[in-house]
Amino acid sequence: MKSHFDEQLLYECYECARCTGSCPAALAVEGFNPRNYLLTCLRMGLDAVVSDEKLWCCTTCHVCEDRCPQMLDVTDLLMSLMNEAARRGFIPDKVRAGSQMVLHTGRVVLVSKRASEMREKLGLGPLPEIPVEEVEGILEKTGLAGLLG
Amino acid sequence: MGKRPKPAGISGPPGRSASGESLRIGVYVCHCGLNIDGSLDCQEVARFASTLDGVVLAKDSMYTCSNSGQEMIKADIREQGLNRVVVASCTPRLHEPTFRAACAEAGLNPYLFEMANIREHCSWVHLHDRKAATEKAKDLVKMAVARARLLEPQVETQVPITPKALVVGGGVAGIQASLDLAESGYQVYLVEKEASIGGRMAQIDKTFPTMDCSICILAPKMSEVGRHPKIELMTLSEVESVDGYIGNFRVRVRRRPRYVSRECTYCGDCAKECPQHAPNEFDCGLSTRKAIYSPFAQAVPATYLIDMNLCLNKHGIVACDRCLQACQHKCIDFSQKEEFLDLEVGTIIVCTGSDVYDPSSLTELGYGRFPNVITSLEFERLINAGGPTAGNLIRPSDKKVPRTVAFLQCIGSRSKRSNPYCSNICCMNTIKDALLIREHWPETKIYVFYIDIRAFGKGFEDLLQRARREGIVFIRGIPGEIIQDERTGNLKLIGENTLLSKLYQYEVDLAILSVGIEPRKDSAVVKRLLSLPSMADGFFMEAHPKLRPVDTPTGGIFLAGCAEGPKDIKDSVTQASAAASRANILMSKGKVTVEAITARIDPDLCTGCAACSRVCPYGAILVDPERKRAQVVEAACAGCGTCAPECRFGAIRMRHFSDLQILAQIDALAETAARRKILAFCCNWCSYAGADFSGVSRMQYPTEVRIVRTMCSGRVDPLFVEHAFSKGIAAVLVSGCHPGDCHYINANLQTEKRVQRLWKKMTRLGLDKDRLRLAWISAAEGLKFAREIQALQAVVAALSDEEIEKGIRAFSEKGQAA
Repeated sequence: MKSHFDEQLLYECYECARCTGSCPAALAVEGFNPRNYLLTCLRMGLDAVVSDEKLWCCTTCHVCEDRCPQMLDVTDLLMSLMNEAARRGFIPDKVRAGSQMVLHTGRVVLVSKRASEMREKLGLGPLPEIPVEEVEGILEKTGLAGLLG
Repeated sequence: MGKRPKPAGISGPPGRSASGESLRIGVYVCHCGLNIDGSLDCQEVARFASTLDGVVLAKDSMYTCSNSGQEMIKADIREQGLNRVVVASCTPRLHEPTFRAACAEAGLNPYLFEMANIREHCSWVHLHDRKAATEKAKDLVKMAVARARLLEPQVETQVPITPKALVVGGGVAGIQASLDLAESGYQVYLVEKEASIGGRMAQIDKTFPTMDCSICILAPKMSEVGRHPKIELMTLSEVESVDGYIGNFRVRVRRRPRYVSRECTYCGDCAKECPQHAPNEFDCGLSTRKAIYSPFAQAVPATYLIDMNLCLNKHGIVACDRCLQACQHKCIDFSQKEEFLDLEVGTIIVCTGSDVYDPSSLTELGYGRFPNVITSLEFERLINAGGPTAGNLIRPSDKKVPRTVAFLQCIGSRSKRSNPYCSNICCMNTIKDALLIREHWPETKIYVFYIDIRAFGKGFEDLLQRARREGIVFIRGIPGEIIQDERTGNLKLIGENTLLSKLYQYEVDLAILSVGIEPRKDSAVVKRLLSLPSMADGFFMEAHPKLRPVDTPTGGIFLAGCAEGPKDIKDSVTQASAAASRANILMSKGKVTVEAITARIDPDLCTGCAACSRVCPYGAILVDPERKRAQVVEAACAGCGTCAPECRFGAIRMRHFSDLQILAQIDALAETAARRKILAFCCNWCSYAGADFSGVSRMQYPTEVRIVRTMCSGRVDPLFVEHAFSKGIAAVLVSGCHPGDCHYINANLQTEKRVQRLWKKMTRLGLDKDRLRLAWISAAEGLKFAREIQALQAVVAALSDEEIEKGIRAFSEKGQAA
């Protein structure tokens, strides 16, 4: 994290909480709190944050960043925290399942029979084949495949 | 090329001054506690100084500026017969006057004193390289000694001070300053842009922490200004131009027409008849006024005025005469014209005040979209008995009394997205406003959303505690968003209570944005007119933040109120009295001493070509076409030295900043390792002060730079730059005030022209023109100075020996001849 961020800039945060106050995920998920993640990181270190599954609730909408008076890249910070968590093996099951789906099928959602029938009814052609091997190759290179094990 | 012979006979025989006397130079290297000695070896520097030609005595001392330090210098002058004194310590902008006075007391002409700035320009900016810092300090001392050898005694002249003052801006600061000066017996001209004096304080309902009625305590002072025989009040007026210098400013004021004569009895019959409506600016647009109107009930002067942009009679065609018919005293005069008034004043006090932050750009808060989101200034008008609702707190959407009110702090303050500074007054203003609501509508639920409450002044914490006791709820955490209920107009505030780490949602009837203070939109105009420096945030800069807090770097001009920075009424009044007192001190002396740095023209060399007089910003050089001679009007000459480089015949001599002295400084720095060095010319007012500022801020930059001070960048003769290159110096920085900010009106325009010419010449000679750099650095731009030096250092690092040699050949006298 420290290699991605200027630590001095993070210390400029004066806890106004506009980020959390603006966050749609915080509104939906109790305990997801961008401001608190930043403060915890600074005061108690990465270890105190990376194991928290709620960290993954960030939708990367970037509203926090838009409104931060100190112009901190809060979303980028959360992203790098998630990356670090993944590197340490803390990947929530749902995220792991979703990622594996992408890895093996190239899709986020499985194409159900019903969906295919609906497409046909609406005159839309069948969905194109996905070059799964190519996707796997990419994820291999980015390291995601390795992390998923 | 080779426009004039290089001054010959640089220093006479060794060990003697130009006039032939035997040199006895004393050098004092100051430790300044650990400020200097902490990062360079003062003893070593003093030892080095003692080896220099003409130096008979070199000492290092703990605090040279202390009484004992000064006494030591005085004793040495008397006992050792010193005829030149060099002190290596802090910036001459701080202690040059101290040491000059000490020299004078010991019978040495103060112009035979020289300073080497080894603190701001050396020890503080090279904290981590003791060896290089020590070498640099030695160089700086060597340069100072080289200059000292050529110093000449000078006699200062005195000019009378006009015992009149100009006060710009009629807010509470301007009012206080005007009254203080008028009571001291000086004629005061108070220039106010608006139709009435009173400023922001007149708009506010109550003041903190005492809860006094704002207009009740201000109005008597306003009327006093209006009737004081020594104050000439000019409203609807703006300063158009300023020239002159300390004690003798010539000011031109533009007065817009009022279209109503002074006989107006303020009866208001005219306004009743006027058919034209417009938002009332004094009420922040929460009420309307007519085209003929009075700004507010207590206005001074108590005279109506016509807003010609709104009146049907603009363009000189009388299409409506209802007000004219209604006025029994026949005060309305559509024929009034704009007029210009020329004033002569000795001092100027700038009290131009501040603007209020406009929160429209913070779209998440809905200001401007949701009627029930208002600013703190709008709230002041809403709760004011003289305001649009006669003091009844109602919310704009449905005119109902709000039952829940929220205050949002730090709106437009402490943010890189708006203004980075704390606006100083908003916390206490909110606490006061919350208590006012509590007092009149005790059932109201009041929330204050804050980050930090800053209650630092006398009586402030008491007020905060009272607010807490009275049940005002303080919640730490600013709402991220305000959402309006379309049906009720109520507001939902979403945010996080950081003390509980829990999200909140509050529904309130009215949200008040506690907006910050910012520099006035037209402060750039004032800045340019008066050549004032400003900080990065736009507020005007004081001469010294601690010890000269109401002086500006320009002599005779003072600051008071929010023009200098956000502050409350008490601080504005205190500062205004201080500024008035500073102006009084100047004017009561009746005379001001002019530094003996003015230009002199040698009549034997002058041919009357008038090149000098064309570039003089002050028109201080008169040319007699018959006798073919130019002459300097000493009282008008400010000593910038812009004329000197213009003279092709070497006829102009700048006293105390002579060609010989500056060339000697260059020679001294070029003696060793010139190939790696950067010579920086800094003007006294902006860039030298900027370099000082980077020192005070401990900004670290490369050690290779050596600064030569000139009064103005216009003094920098292309000859100096060429001389530096001919001596093998790697790079030269010419720096001055930003265009438009020049302390000498526009002298730095000549600097730019000359540097352009030099660049052309260098290109023609096949030299790397990046070796010469031009930079505009204000007194507040310490960081910029450091960056300029870093940039030049990069150029120097990439220079080849061949390039240096080429420069030496091109600009050495032989090269010039060829």
